Amino acid sequence: MSQPSIWLTIAFVSLCCVACNSAIIADDRDAFFEARIRPLLVERCQECHGEKKQEGGLRLDSRAGWQAGGDNGPVIQVGFPNASRLIEAVRYGNAELQMPPTKKLSEREIADLEAWVKLGAPDPRDAMAPLSKVEKKSLWSLQPIAHALPPQLKDDAWSQQPVDRFILEKQQRMQLRPSPIADRRTLIRRATMDLIGLPPTAAEVSSFVNDSSDDAYEQLIDRLLASPQYGENWARHWLDVARYSDTKGYVYAREESRWVHASEYRDWVVRSFNKDLAYDQFVRLQIAADQIVPVGSPELAAMGFLTLGRRFLGVTHDVIDDRIDVVSRGILGLSVACARCHDHKYDPIPTRDYYSLYGVFQSCQEQLVGCGQTNDTAFLEELAKRENKNRETLAKRREEQSQRVRSNVEKYLLAQLEIEKYPEEVFNQMLEQGDLNPFVVRKWQAYLVKDKETPVPIFIKWHSVEKAQHNQMISIAADYGTIFDDVVKRWREHIAKFPNATTFTDPIDERMRCVLYGIDSPCHVPDEHITNIEVYFPTDVIVELWKVQGEVDRWLLDSDKSPPYATILTDRPVPSSPRVFLRGNPMTKGSEVSRHYLSALGGKESKPFENGSGRLELANELASPTNPLTARVLVNRVWMHHFGRGLVDTPSDFGHRAEDPSHPELLDWLAKRFVDSGWSIKSLHRTIMISSTYRQGNNSASIASDPANRLLARISSRRLSFEQARDAWLHISGELDLRVGGKPRSLFDQKNKRRTLYATIDRERVSPVLRMFDFANPDLSIPQRTETSVPQQALFAMNHPFMAERAIQVIASVNESNSTDRIAKLYNALYQRKPTDDELRLAVEFLQSDSAVPQPARTPQLWSYGHGEFDPTAGRILTFKPLPHFNGSAWQGGENYPDPKLGWLKLNATGGHPGNDLKHAVVRRWTAFVEGDYSIVSKISHEPEVGDGVRAFVCHNESGLLRSATLHHSTEQMDVATIPIRKGHTLDFVVDIRDGLNSDQFLWAITITRLEAMRVEAIGAGGNSVPLVSDAEKDFPTESDSQLNRWQQFAQVLMLANEFMFVD
Amino acid sequence: MLEPFGFSRRDLLRRSGIGFGMLGLASMLADKQIAHAVPSIAPHFAPKAKRVIHFFLNGGPSHVDTFDPKPSLLKYAGQSIPNTLLTERKTGHAFPTPFKFERYGQSGIEVSELFAKTAEHIDDIVVIRSMYAQVPNHEPSLMLMNCGDSIQARPSLGSWLTYGLGSENENLPGFVSMCPGGLPIKGAENWQSAFLPGSLQGTYVDSKQSTVERLIENIRSPHASLETQRQQLALLQRFNQAHRSQRADPRLDSRIESFELAFRMQTAATDAFDISNEPQSILDRYGKGVHGRQTLIARRLLERGVRMVQLWHGAGQPWDNHDKIEENHRKLAGEIDQPIAALLSDLKQRGMLEDTLVIWGGEFGRTPTVEMNGNTSKLGRDHNHYGFTVCLAGGGIKGGTVYGSTDEFGFAAQDNPVSVYDLHATILHLMGLNHERLTYRYAGRDFRLTDVHGSVIKPILA
Repeated sequence: MSQPSIWLTIAFVSLCCVACNSAIIADDRDAFFEARIRPLLVERCQECHGEKKQEGGLRLDSRAGWQAGGDNGPVIQVGFPNASRLIEAVRYGNAELQMPPTKKLSEREIADLEAWVKLGAPDPRDAMAPLSKVEKKSLWSLQPIAHALPPQLKDDAWSQQPVDRFILEKQQRMQLRPSPIADRRTLIRRATMDLIGLPPTAAEVSSFVNDSSDDAYEQLIDRLLASPQYGENWARHWLDVARYSDTKGYVYAREESRWVHASEYRDWVVRSFNKDLAYDQFVRLQIAADQIVPVGSPELAAMGFLTLGRRFLGVTHDVIDDRIDVVSRGILGLSVACARCHDHKYDPIPTRDYYSLYGVFQSCQEQLVGCGQTNDTAFLEELAKRENKNRETLAKRREEQSQRVRSNVEKYLLAQLEIEKYPEEVFNQMLEQGDLNPFVVRKWQAYLVKDKETPVPIFIKWHSVEKAQHNQMISIAADYGTIFDDVVKRWREHIAKFPNATTFTDPIDERMRCVLYGIDSPCHVPDEHITNIEVYFPTDVIVELWKVQGEVDRWLLDSDKSPPYATILTDRPVPSSPRVFLRGNPMTKGSEVSRHYLSALGGKESKPFENGSGRLELANELASPTNPLTARVLVNRVWMHHFGRGLVDTPSDFGHRAEDPSHPELLDWLAKRFVDSGWSIKSLHRTIMISSTYRQGNNSASIASDPANRLLARISSRRLSFEQARDAWLHISGELDLRVGGKPRSLFDQKNKRRTLYATIDRERVSPVLRMFDFANPDLSIPQRTETSVPQQALFAMNHPFMAERAIQVIASVNESNSTDRIAKLYNALYQRKPTDDELRLAVEFLQSDSAVPQPARTPQLWSYGHGEFDPTAGRILTFKPLPHFNGSAWQGGENYPDPKLGWLKLNATGGHPGNDLKHAVVRRWTAFVEGDYSIVSKISHEPEVGDGVRAFVCHNESGLLRSATLHHSTEQMDVATIPIRKGHTLDFVVDIRDGLNSDQFLWAITITRLEAMRVEAIGAGGNSVPLVSDAEKDFPTESDSQLNRWQQFAQVLMLANEFMFVD
Repeated sequence: MLEPFGFSRRDLLRRSGIGFGMLGLASMLADKQIAHAVPSIAPHFAPKAKRVIHFFLNGGPSHVDTFDPKPSLLKYAGQSIPNTLLTERKTGHAFPTPFKFERYGQSGIEVSELFAKTAEHIDDIVVIRSMYAQVPNHEPSLMLMNCGDSIQARPSLGSWLTYGLGSENENLPGFVSMCPGGLPIKGAENWQSAFLPGSLQGTYVDSKQSTVERLIENIRSPHASLETQRQQLALLQRFNQAHRSQRADPRLDSRIESFELAFRMQTAATDAFDISNEPQSILDRYGKGVHGRQTLIARRLLERGVRMVQLWHGAGQPWDNHDKIEENHRKLAGEIDQPIAALLSDLKQRGMLEDTLVIWGGEFGRTPTVEMNGNTSKLGRDHNHYGFTVCLAGGGIKGGTVYGSTDEFGFAAQDNPVSVYDLHATILHLMGLNHERLTYRYAGRDFRLTDVHGSVIKPILA
């Protein structure tokens, strides 16, 4: 203070800074707080200065908190770091005042706090802090559903239904008029696409157009709602929300990556829509079917909603987070997952609510259970065999693991002295049998804490010594080690004497025994599915346990006899008490919370769930008729799929950041009616679809004033999703296979004519085509797909063999000798209308003009792809058997790879893989169509270092072995300078696995050149000539190498047109 | 510009009597469905770099054998070092590098013989020696390095860049990931778009294939010639035009346009991926083999306005040398040292280095201690996320600098530690994007590549 002028200057400069800074933008200052200060306060300060504790009378969890200061007065002088006690404390300059007491903040953190104070301590939390109390009232979506009445309108000749009056009222206010009712063809196309996801047939359209009955339209809707295809189309909408995938996502190679139960969940959703299962029950079953329906019930499949999320390499926190997210956004339209790290910034969802739900799911374990019947004895016998093996192995390894811990009490105690070396579920360490298991070390830690709290702790001596007295601890640990070794020994002797004994008679002995053998013992490995208990075992045991589980899974997956299976959650015997993880970090645990329902919806910590995990209670809360969100959210989703956008524009976010609903009263009216109708989704469709609003045409008058069409004075056309488009392309030629349900099948398998719903969704390898067409990401709950038009979509439509094949098929299905008639039939099949004169003229012009491009000659089949056993004495293949399946880029044993019978056999353009044993060498066979002298230039390489490599042979059917080589992480040139080959004779390029099957994939570039023409022959019809050079890569077939004819080209154009892809 | 359909797009819109003009872009953007799909094609401030090429040494290259010399390891050879940290597997005593380090360039930065050719350009390179990640496992570290989050499905850097900046060539995908012979661990998740539109995800190219049909999906029709397709599309657009004239919906225009783009893409992409017209001197400079070829293709893509190209070393995790690191690292580095050096000099000669950001690195580094198999040394190194090196060159960085350091042995980042978030923030900054402002609303929250972390590493900026 001796130099007041300098102080003044500093103060002035600081003031300027504050002024300048506040002139930037409030946003930036808040952003600084959010990025740097809030996390710091939460992580380092609020445990002692927050809601639970207020050390020194100070709270730092709200703006009001630090403004009020602590017991010793103000802690922050806004704008003046040097004068702020808080800054003084964190600088550690004053030995009396050092915060946080355990560890000094980093230089950067201190600098951040200084900068923050200097900036004026911007703290947006003053708007947030009371949020959970005050805002709860003002968030519209949390208010009870109002009993809304349709408005009475003066000038209304239009409305037919209550829905219309809500819509018309808003339009009138904006001086808009609805569009006239659409024509019948438009209506049936729209309704059919909306409900069953397929275009109507020409016959259906003409029958509806000519139906003069009064209720023709209502009947149409009823017919569509009764169609089994309805459930398939609407199931897909729900599966987007449910982040459906047939696979687990990335897993280590030891684990089967396909879900056993996914397709059964998908089919359950289809069935539920088809039978109009009440939506409240639909919700309840998905959360808690295990507690609602009996063992073995098909309804158990519902729980796939929770259990088919990504596997996150088994990290519990993330698996649970995924479940909380799908439940909260999917059913409630609230993003609770935001509260994993901090109280929700906008909605009334405190972190404590997140961890309360966390506790619910943490108290559950996964189980794979049958939910259907089969009588196939062969299947059941094999299943029993595999299940027994799995059960026995698991039981054996569990006991061994428990025993490993029991006999290492000393080591586990000593590990407590360097606990930081044993991370909790943080990263995967490879563990050997002799290693201490970090997870078990942590279990011991927790066990010791509990023990210390008991009136007479067993480890009383251990607790009595300070950690610093290291040597003493070591000797105490050794003592306990000896004591417990003795317990093990005596218990074994006891059991030997009394084989039925479950306890020691002496109570002290028994307490000691429970430390090692009790159900809450740190030595105990629970009897659960391997997925729940991986973390207990050394790495080699995990691999073994997944193998035996995988044998069961694969039997269920690959057998066509297997009954449906479900992966359910069941409550663990002892539910766990969740604790808040500060900033979402499981390493920094905060206070304990109860398992309760969301506080914003009436849940209270003081009113915890009472039964088991609380999951059934949660399900009942979600499905309650008084829940303000569940019905509104569902009604809005259905509305969105009918009109292209919801009344609430963010269908899974009904929080503060969502825009207000465009028609709040209508939303409530629909929601109320929905609940009153017994939560019937089919009845909701009817209510919406019989309205004049839905039946409007597309008058563009409102487009300038309401481009986003929120007021619905017209109908926006619906663009077909990829699924709908593919189904429609198959449907128009009558190829679509309408069987409902079943196991998934690969999307572009040529034989797959089923609805796209049944294509395999592998979240690890989502088909690029699906991604390109805005398919819902199966890792995230997707309320509404994006809708893009990118050139890659057009490339697919123009070039993919699937499209060519459909063009061929649709033309084959419209057989008319007269061109005009044929064109008309084609229009009828695709668009259910007649072509206009203009269209007819353009079509005829196109068909008559020649494409002027000569059809390229088809190469004769020089190559064939197969397998067989190499016979070393003859130097040839014993029997050549062709590979049965071509997937578009490779020949292999079947649709799935590896094939259950033919294993890893595969040939593609550049190489391949031999079969699993020496009997299954892979053979690329070349057949001479022309006699002559040939030369072979070939280079084979085997790249992997692991395994023992492969053997390769070049054989001539006449003269036997020409070349052979053994390859391992090496490359060989296998050439033949000249060899005469007669017409029809063959060269075989053979590879087998050598001694063992391991990393045997190879690359083999082969060219065969005819050196001189001995006798040129014309081959096949059309006189295609045989090229001089055959090249294994260039000659390799593409999916189909046929050229489309003019009619097929024309059909393709109609299939690509906007009229096909958009339905008015 | 080629007019494949006999009339231009403008003609089409004029003739159909309705076009973008009538509605205006703003009204289109008011429609959220479209707004989501249209990237905010404008940087936040003047960018230093316009495009990125990322050499991804998947598996994790050893920093102490490449860009971070540690003579102390020699002193401790055969002994354990004081700060052995916990990694995935067990490691033993200090393992001095078997490679020779030398000083290069005016800056005199030390680089090992493995990257001797790349090191000739050291004065254009900044070596960040103090990177750190979160866990010593491949999967989460790959996700962190590519998508900014170890576990959750988040958009990749390339998807964010194309979302924020678009592509400069509408005939080519904005983000290309090349990997010869198959996919790296975690496959397409490494270039996923997550909640961003699917079209922003990286386009995967198996650079081992040599014909363009096999390089890019659906780029050629096996069923119709280009001339036939031109006729088909001309007819298609006539039909679409008639359909459009009765409707006011901008989505119809977008789809009409997508077919024109697709048609042009067929030739443009073929050309971009075809290196056969490159002069022999260039081919020689990049070298034979798949890495030379994929690097050269990458340059052609960048030249044509592709925003980001990632070059993976190979399927699986080739740099994951738990054993025999001397032999393995030598082979791997031998495959890419020349192509990287060639690219740097080639870009420089074309004047592209100044606005191209070149990144070199893996998902983490490797331990300075030797990996053990029981009591036997495996002569290799385990994963190390505590400290590793990433190099940057080109657009907007201060070449010839070393930033940060690891400890005496190279186990953990010590001075100026740089998180992956910091690296991402810096990359976005160089591309003219503020990492705190490049956001996307999903699930009720504005998401960023850097989540709530990251600050730009100012000292390495030119």
